[in-house]
Order: sequence, then structure tokens, then C-alpha cells
Amino acid sequence: MEQLINIKNLTKKFNFPVKNTSKNWLKNLVRPDTKEVVAVDNISFSVNKGERIAFIGPNGAGKSTTIKMLTGIIFPTSGSIDILGFDPTEDRKKLAYQIGTVFGQRSQLLPNLPITDSLEFFGVMYDLSDQQIKKRSQELIEIFELSSFIDQPVRKLSLGQRMRAEVAVSLIHQPKIILLDEPTIGLDVVAKKSLRDLLMKVNKEDGVTIFLTSHDVGDIESLCDRTIIIDNGQIIKDLATRDLAQTFIFEKYIDLVSDNKFTNFFQLPKGLRYTTKAPNQITVVVDLQQISVKEAIKKLLDIFDVSDIDVYDADMETVIRYIYERDKASQ
Amino acid sequence: MSNEIRFALYSVKKNIQSSAELRTSFLMNVVGMAINNTAFILLWIYFIKSFGIIGGWTSAEVVALQGFLALAYGVVFCLAQGIRKIPDYVASGAFDRFMLSPKNLLLRVATSSFGASAVGDVVFGVACLIIYGFLIQASLMQILLIVLVVILATLIFLATVIAIFSTSFLWVDSNAVTNGFFELFLTPALFHGGAFQGLTRFIFIFIIPSLLIGTIPVEIVRYLSFDKLALLAGLTIFWLLVSVKLFFKAVRRYESSNFMTFGN
Repeated sequence: MEQLINIKNLTKKFNFPVKNTSKNWLKNLVRPDTKEVVAVDNISFSVNKGERIAFIGPNGAGKSTTIKMLTGIIFPTSGSIDILGFDPTEDRKKLAYQIGTVFGQRSQLLPNLPITDSLEFFGVMYDLSDQQIKKRSQELIEIFELSSFIDQPVRKLSLGQRMRAEVAVSLIHQPKIILLDEPTIGLDVVAKKSLRDLLMKVNKEDGVTIFLTSHDVGDIESLCDRTIIIDNGQIIKDLATRDLAQTFIFEKYIDLVSDNKFTNFFQLPKGLRYTTKAPNQITVVVDLQQISVKEAIKKLLDIFDVSDIDVYDADMETVIRYIYERDKASQ
Repeated sequence: MSNEIRFALYSVKKNIQSSAELRTSFLMNVVGMAINNTAFILLWIYFIKSFGIIGGWTSAEVVALQGFLALAYGVVFCLAQGIRKIPDYVASGAFDRFMLSPKNLLLRVATSSFGASAVGDVVFGVACLIIYGFLIQASLMQILLIVLVVILATLIFLATVIAIFSTSFLWVDSNAVTNGFFELFLTPALFHGGAFQGLTRFIFIFIIPSLLIGTIPVEIVRYLSFDKLALLAGLTIFWLLVSVKLFFKAVRRYESSNFMTFGN
């Protein structure tokens, strides 16, 4: 498998002045104390061609800092980055021809002009000929279904339309990798799905490697085949997305349905707790470290008169929340 | 290199198109700045008429000084207003998009914004220099010198603003600090040459190059001073080299922030 990204022992530290209350204002002004924050702490990983990577973690975990070092926006404090054979600190310009970037909170489009102008602008920036720009723009307009709002100034577009345009523009030069920092932030469910489908399409059809950061579980579940979890600047898990839930299942959910309405919600045995208490359905969480599923079902059937029962795993969001919280608790 | 120039020119064209989309503010900016400059020069002429010639400077020289200044300021901030926006770009994190560009970083940033109001300065500067030419009944040599020193003054103005705004990467409150430096550079340039003598003149030529934008160019044209022309050319090259070096060194200190921003 061809390796496109190879990161070794990457670290980024930020320094900033802090007020020292034991010093007077003049000393604080002239010689302030500084505080060092390790945003990314000695991480290493690699990415193969065609992979779809979710790079996730709680706020302040180091996701955006890593993606900014990968693209050459900021310089690492130590460690090495090899992306498509380039070192972003030395070959920023050459690398830019090979990668596409989308920042959900930061538009690259020309706000006062229609999308066609942004496509043309980026085409010229990447040294495409007029003919190439025309051909590629037409392809992207079709793939990303931009034609219905192609003539509107960018500032008049909805967020969903704008994000589709952002991704389209980032692909004008047919990059080998696209790096996306929270591309679905603020989008409604329809716009999110549409964007994920389009990203999947460019990955499958054009072989574009996808590396994205997101807080949206849907992005991870439906788009990414591999998940890297970062917290406090360190990678805490790197595994196939499908294995994520299995690896971290410490809870099961049991739905109980009754033909007669539930009226009494009895005290549950140790290891079980309610999440839903409704007259027609009860949902109970089973802590597998305290009680087995078999034992739990037995005890619940002793307590309640049940007509149907359903046992299932925690959803991805719960799994990810569990990972973040476990990591926080262990500090 | 040709691709860099092609893209820089294209970028300027797009900036003009983008500014022109907002027609009212575009026209207000252009006309407003021309009126503002005219009022300023009338004030100086009135001042000289009231108090007489100061340090050998007549109304004609004041008109020329304002012409050189306005033209240098106008051309730089018309075509390369992005340099003046570096503190905002750095503070908001909008500088990211330039780092992602496959083009020369300085050229990309400089041509990222078009200053509509600076068009008014260009028009005003050209008008002032034409009037100056008539007032002194300029010889062919003086006309050629005017053209040459306009180029040099514009380049040194460009170099100085690059140097000043490149320091944005070094300060937390980059906007306030760099604007303070810019005022320190620009304000002495607005006063005519007679105002600075001795040590202050030395400082505003060799340490802060304020007098190189207007005063020295006027003296070059007025006295056909080739010594000063050589000095101006030498200092222009020096400042260009220093400012470009400073920019690329300072960029390595960039620490992107996460505010929401828009494009170009």
C-alpha cells in the first residue's frame, strides 16, 4: 500500500504571556511570564493512499494544530512530516499543488463574486490553462450540483451550498489528498449527508485520500474507514472505525416493551440504570463490568411484566463520549 | 516567475471586480479620498501663504511633496493593500489561506486586497505632480526625474510597509503595534522638508525612511541632485532586501487562530 502521509514524533508547543499577580504591572508589561502549552505531543502515524481517516478528539485536543502542520500553515516544534514526499516546512508551495484543504470555519471563496469566479481564481492559482479551468469547473459543477446557485454571490449562499462549493473549489487541481477541518460544522442533516456522499464519491471514483477532523459522529460512521483519536495532544487510539464500538463496549442497552402500561419504576439491581422511563417502554443501561447481559435480563424479567425485549450496543456517539470522558478521568 | 506575475495581476483584477460589486462604497471611497487630500493640500497652501516660505519650501514644493506621497501611498495600497491587512489576517487566522497557496507568499498576501480609497490617492497624486510640473515649468530632465523618483518612492514605501506589517507575527496586539509604527513612519513624511533639520532629518532618512517618500524626491527634482538620487536608489534596494527577508523570517512565527473568516 502506498504511504502518502508519514508523521514521526510530531510536537507543537505554543508560548504565550501570562499575568503574574505577584509582579507589579510594569514588570508584567516589560518582562511578562510565559506559559508553554503542548498542543501536539510526540505523535506518530501514517496514512495510506485511498484511506478515509477521521481524526477526532474533544475541543483543544490538537486536531486542528495537527492538520495545520500537515498543510504547512504552522511549523512544528519538533518531529518530522512527510506528506506525498514533501516536508511542509520546506516545500510548502510544491505541496500545495498536491493537496486540497477545506476549513469549515474559514471560507476560501471570493465573497462578493459567484462560485464560477472562485473556481476560476483557484484554477489560475494552480496554473491551469483556461481550457482546463473550464473543463474541470464544469465537472465539479455537475458532481457537486452547483448549477442552481452558480450565479449567486457567495455571501448570499446558504451554509450547505457554500460548503459544497468550498469542497468543489478545493478539488479544482485534482489533489491527491483532501484535508478537511470540521467540514460539516453548522450544516443541517440533509446538507451533511449530501457532503458526505460527495466526499465518498471523490474517494471511490478519483482515489482521493480523505483526512478529516470532525465532532460529528455521522461523518466518522458513514464516511471514514479508520479513526484516529487524539486527546491532550496524544494519540490514544488508532483503529478501524468498525472496530471502534466493539473495542469500547462496556455497556449494553435493553429496551423493555409491555402490552400493559408500566406504572411502577422499581429500584434496579446494581449495574443497571434507567435511561428511559415511559409507560409503554423502559430502556435500561447494563454496566457489563458489574453484571452480565444474561443476568440483567433475568433480573429485569423478574421485576417487570414484559411483552417484548431488545438488546443492543451503545451507539457511536456514546462510545466516543465514553472514550473522551475516560481519558479525562484518568488525568 | 511568469506564473507568479500572471496570478498576481489576475488577483488584482479579481479584487477590483470584487470591490466594484459593492458600487456605492467603491465610489464613496474613491471620491472621498480625493476630497480629503484636496482639503489637506489647501490647508498647507493657506499655511504657507500666511507664514511665508519655510526652509526654502514654497507652495509648489508642498504640492509636489503631497503628490509624491499620495502616489506612493495610493499605488501601494491600491495594488497591495493586503500588506496592510496582515495584522488582521494574523489575528483572525485568515492568514492560513495564503500559507495554503502554491504561490509566492508575499506576492499572494500583498495582492489579496484592493484599496478602493487608494484610487483617489493615485488620481490626486498624479494631479499634484502635473500641477507641480506646470508651476516650476519643468524641463525634460525634471520630468524624467519625477517619473524615476515616483518609482523609487513607491518601492521604498512598499518596502517600509512590508517591514512594518511583517512584525505582526511578533506581537500579541499586532494591530495596535503595527499601526503605531505606520503612523510613526507616515506622519513625518507629511510635513514638508523644511520642518526637519540636523539630527531629526538624519533619523527620518536613515532610521525611519519617512523623508525618502516625499522630501528627498522633491529635493532631487528641484535641485537636479544626482547624489540624493543615488542615496534614494541605494536605500530603496536596502529596504527592499531587509523587508522581504524580515517578512519570510517573521512568517515562521505564525500561530494560526480559529476565528471564522471569509476568502480571497
